[in-house]
Amino acid sequence: MSSVPMELKDSAVTSSKWLDAHYDPVANLYTFSSCIALADLHGDGDNKLVVGDLGTGAGNTKLKVYRGIGLLSENTLLDLPTGLVSFLMDQHEPRTPAIAVASGPFIYIYKNLRPYFKFTLPFLEVNTLEQDVWSQARQDMIDTMTLKEMLESIRAKADIPLSVRSLRFLMLEPQEMETYVNLHKQQPIRRQTVITCIGTLKKNMVDEDAVSCLVVGTESQDVYILDPEAFTILSKMSLPSVPTLMDVTGQFDVEFRIIIACRNGNIYILRRDSPKPKYCIELCSHPVGLVRMGKNVVVGCAQETLQGYTQKGKKLWTAYLPAPVTTMAVLDLPTRGFQAVLVALANCEVHVYRDKNLVSTIKTPDVVSSICFGRYGREDGTLIMTTKGGGLIVKILKRTAVFDERDSAPGPPLAQSIRLNVPKKTKLYVDQTMRERENAVAMHRAFQMDLSRLRLAAARTYVKALESSLTPVSASLAEPLKMNAVVQGLGPSFKLTLNIQNTAVCRPVMNLAVSFLYDDRLYRMRTAFFKIPLLVPGLNYPIDTFVECLSEKGISDIIKVFVLREGKSVPLLTAHINMPASEGLALN
Amino acid sequence: MRIGPSGKERSSVTLTMDPLFLAWSYFRRRKFQKCSNICTKVLEDNPYDQAAWSLKTRALTEMVYIDEVDVDQEGIAEMMLDDSSIAQVARPGTSLRLPGTAQGGGPSPAVRPMTQSGRPITGFVRPSTQSGRPSTMEQAIKTPRTANTTRPVTNSSGRFVRLGTASMLTNPDGPFINLSRLNLTKYAQKPNLSKTLFEYIFHHENDVKTALDLAALATEHAQFKDWWWKVQLGKCYYRLGLHREAEKQFRSALNHQEFVDTYLYLAKVYRRLDQPITALNLFKQGLDHFPREVTLLTGIARIHEEMNNITSATEYYKDVLKQDNTHVEAIACIGSNHFYTDQPEIALRFFRRLLQMGVYNCQLYNNLGLCCFYAQQYDMTLSSFERALALISSDEEQADVWYNLGHVAVGIGDLTLAYQCFKLALVFNNDHAEAYNNLAVLELRKGHIEQAKAFLQTAASLAPHMYEPHFNFAVLADKLGDLQSSYMAAQKSEDAFPEHVDTQQILKNLRQHFAVL
Repeated sequence: MSSVPMELKDSAVTSSKWLDAHYDPVANLYTFSSCIALADLHGDGDNKLVVGDLGTGAGNTKLKVYRGIGLLSENTLLDLPTGLVSFLMDQHEPRTPAIAVASGPFIYIYKNLRPYFKFTLPFLEVNTLEQDVWSQARQDMIDTMTLKEMLESIRAKADIPLSVRSLRFLMLEPQEMETYVNLHKQQPIRRQTVITCIGTLKKNMVDEDAVSCLVVGTESQDVYILDPEAFTILSKMSLPSVPTLMDVTGQFDVEFRIIIACRNGNIYILRRDSPKPKYCIELCSHPVGLVRMGKNVVVGCAQETLQGYTQKGKKLWTAYLPAPVTTMAVLDLPTRGFQAVLVALANCEVHVYRDKNLVSTIKTPDVVSSICFGRYGREDGTLIMTTKGGGLIVKILKRTAVFDERDSAPGPPLAQSIRLNVPKKTKLYVDQTMRERENAVAMHRAFQMDLSRLRLAAARTYVKALESSLTPVSASLAEPLKMNAVVQGLGPSFKLTLNIQNTAVCRPVMNLAVSFLYDDRLYRMRTAFFKIPLLVPGLNYPIDTFVECLSEKGISDIIKVFVLREGKSVPLLTAHINMPASEGLALN
Repeated sequence: MRIGPSGKERSSVTLTMDPLFLAWSYFRRRKFQKCSNICTKVLEDNPYDQAAWSLKTRALTEMVYIDEVDVDQEGIAEMMLDDSSIAQVARPGTSLRLPGTAQGGGPSPAVRPMTQSGRPITGFVRPSTQSGRPSTMEQAIKTPRTANTTRPVTNSSGRFVRLGTASMLTNPDGPFINLSRLNLTKYAQKPNLSKTLFEYIFHHENDVKTALDLAALATEHAQFKDWWWKVQLGKCYYRLGLHREAEKQFRSALNHQEFVDTYLYLAKVYRRLDQPITALNLFKQGLDHFPREVTLLTGIARIHEEMNNITSATEYYKDVLKQDNTHVEAIACIGSNHFYTDQPEIALRFFRRLLQMGVYNCQLYNNLGLCCFYAQQYDMTLSSFERALALISSDEEQADVWYNLGHVAVGIGDLTLAYQCFKLALVFNNDHAEAYNNLAVLELRKGHIEQAKAFLQTAASLAPHMYEPHFNFAVLADKLGDLQSSYMAAQKSEDAFPEHVDTQQILKNLRQHFAVL
């Protein structure tokens, strides 16, 4: 009971910083932090929430816009979105931002919530050998099996990977290949990549309403910077691995940095005028969230840690978290000069970290899957979270909230001062030790004598059990077997499962049989004798049989199971199954 | 005339004695078969002799009578398809069904073994201590330890049916009273007959519905003022699974007449409804009217024990002992509690007291042996076990004694003897999961990894509630480099015993291992 008031108190402290504005547990919103943005879509100073909803199944993907607590509009997306950003494309008045939704190899641009433009990533170089092979197939010069062999050899050797079409072809069953080739051989081969992350970069001005370029990371380990008006590629950079998370700062025309977390667990920092990464941070586990705080980079790792690095890759600090990180975002309040990192954890908590110090904890009713802080409606400090179960939480930071920055470096651990509950030694114990001290020799002799008698008794019983093979574990070295039996059912029909296992290291056991011994007035068995297949070592072989109880008097008996070797009458194993009383007669 | 020692004279006296008086005398001396035979003869002469008829029903009832207060077996259907429970997950400390709601700071499963339902094992076996609440249907219909089957029985069958059939066997020439031809209304109006008839129907014939009909008619005839009939109605309702109706009848009976039995029945209803707090309050109410009543105190202690509140349970058992210093259950529970809280020398005192009281069985000697061993009184250890082996009545007992001897052998470092003892435990009880687990550890020490693995898997499948096989398997798999299996086993171990530090440690290491690049 004591834990309940504690919780209440804790949430009371939290609520002193945050106002609960809205919670809808069934908002049906499934998304990640990369697909959520706050933008003043109509230029009226009223910020909307734009969400790329991944939906629950196939074809449910939608672009949703929330205003206040209500849904404003909903556009269907063709494919799963991988990223969503809002950015200003041009200098026209009113200054309404466009929405860019990255999905597969395309970026869909929405203006005024209407489809405006579709950008497609440039095609990649196609393997010439692959092209030759397909052109031969088009002319019906080779059959499908040869095609398959040739493609496989190309896949194994070539440094340019195969196109999606060839890869798909190699996955097919032989009977489906023919139709697949006929369907696709006429089209030219293309190799396309997909977008993995997207970000924005100011073009040439620092202002909040300056025109921004799109920055796109792709599966082909490239980073493209796109012109906001013409959608031409301004710059292309390549990375040693596939980018997953990105953070961009600076201006394209002056100087910029792109911090990119990659799938190989490294973080690369790209700068203007260098097509290759300038710095590299090697993490000790996979990055889950990436946030920039001023000049530092804060990374949430899969190892339940939060780590701070400088932009040159020097490690500053590590904070240990109580649970795995689900997502991260930055909490930026320029009006109050406050910056912190929001870390959503798998234990239904959101922690607010300022450097390595925990300054606030928010308890949520569900695991948060996406998080975003900024201006929503007309309120500057709004925290928006969606949960794993599709809920939407909106909280507002109180204007009176103060984050006191205490150093959380702990003193001596609490456990040091807890007294262990060791029972006191009783007077009786002391008396007994006295007795022990006085009669040590006699006690020892008595014990030794009893012990030898016990050893004899145990050995006798053991030998008797071995001779009659009563054990459920075979002792012979040739057939190390183990058996146990389980009875299921209420009666009068029972299911008897024998679990037989060969416990040898590498030798199979063959030529075994199972037979049963039972009172035929009480029980009937469908098959009372059967052979056991070859027993591979280490695997459990469950063997089922059915027993029917014939008595209606509620009497039960023992059924004996023998595992026999062919040609030998002495059983290897015996198990006694105490049958439960049949309860089926209650039905009569 | 003086009744002399000569046989002839005595026989002439018996001949002249009134047969009904003789039957009554037999009844009082609990020779029910003889009593019933005489009554049968009397009834053959005069079928309308109400006294003989009533006495015969009572004799037949007494033959199969069991105290309804203590018998409580929850049926499989009631466990799995429980419609009276309000919340799936009850608040901690308010339910008997949640095993993990320890609040009294009782010993952890590392020290005190658990039953399948997740409660520490008690010192005294009661009908409800063994059958836990299985979490799945599969577990419910499986027989984990086949002989002392801990499996719940189906409601209408189980013990009641077996008793009913037993009484059928005693009357080969048909039942004494043909229930279907009975005019219940007539009998309900005769208070001198109806009560014995009711008990006969309820206990001997085990026909609860007819008994209920009779009780309903009789209570109507008594103008709903007779508490006895209300209690009987409650008993019928309870048997039929109508717990709320039973509660109403018992409450109403208590208004007419305060009675210890009624309190016990009502508490039983609350326990079945999974309202231990209400039951505790009721017991305390009962204690106000019947101060220091042993059965009520025992009831409180049992509920505390089932809710893992061992310290309070021990307090109440001590209160029981103050009233009744020969109460076997209280002595055994306090003794085993002392044993598991690292005071075997005191436990030894309690078990010795039981021995002095004349309890003379295998379990007691087994416990004495263990206490002696852990209290370092080595000269008496093995002789106690020897006696326990001599007093064995079933294979399961023998398996348990050998298992404990195996522990003693491990304690003195004789691993060969330990191996033999654990194997013998398996010989006598093929499903002894603890023995499988310990054998696996011994096999591992010998370097037989495959055998050890097989034994651990068997132990885990036989007793999923034990954490040891899962944990051992996790350690073994971790050493072999099979991290995935190790992780899975460690998770199962965590489910069985969430506070186990070593499991937490291994899980932490594995998680770290999985997270590192």
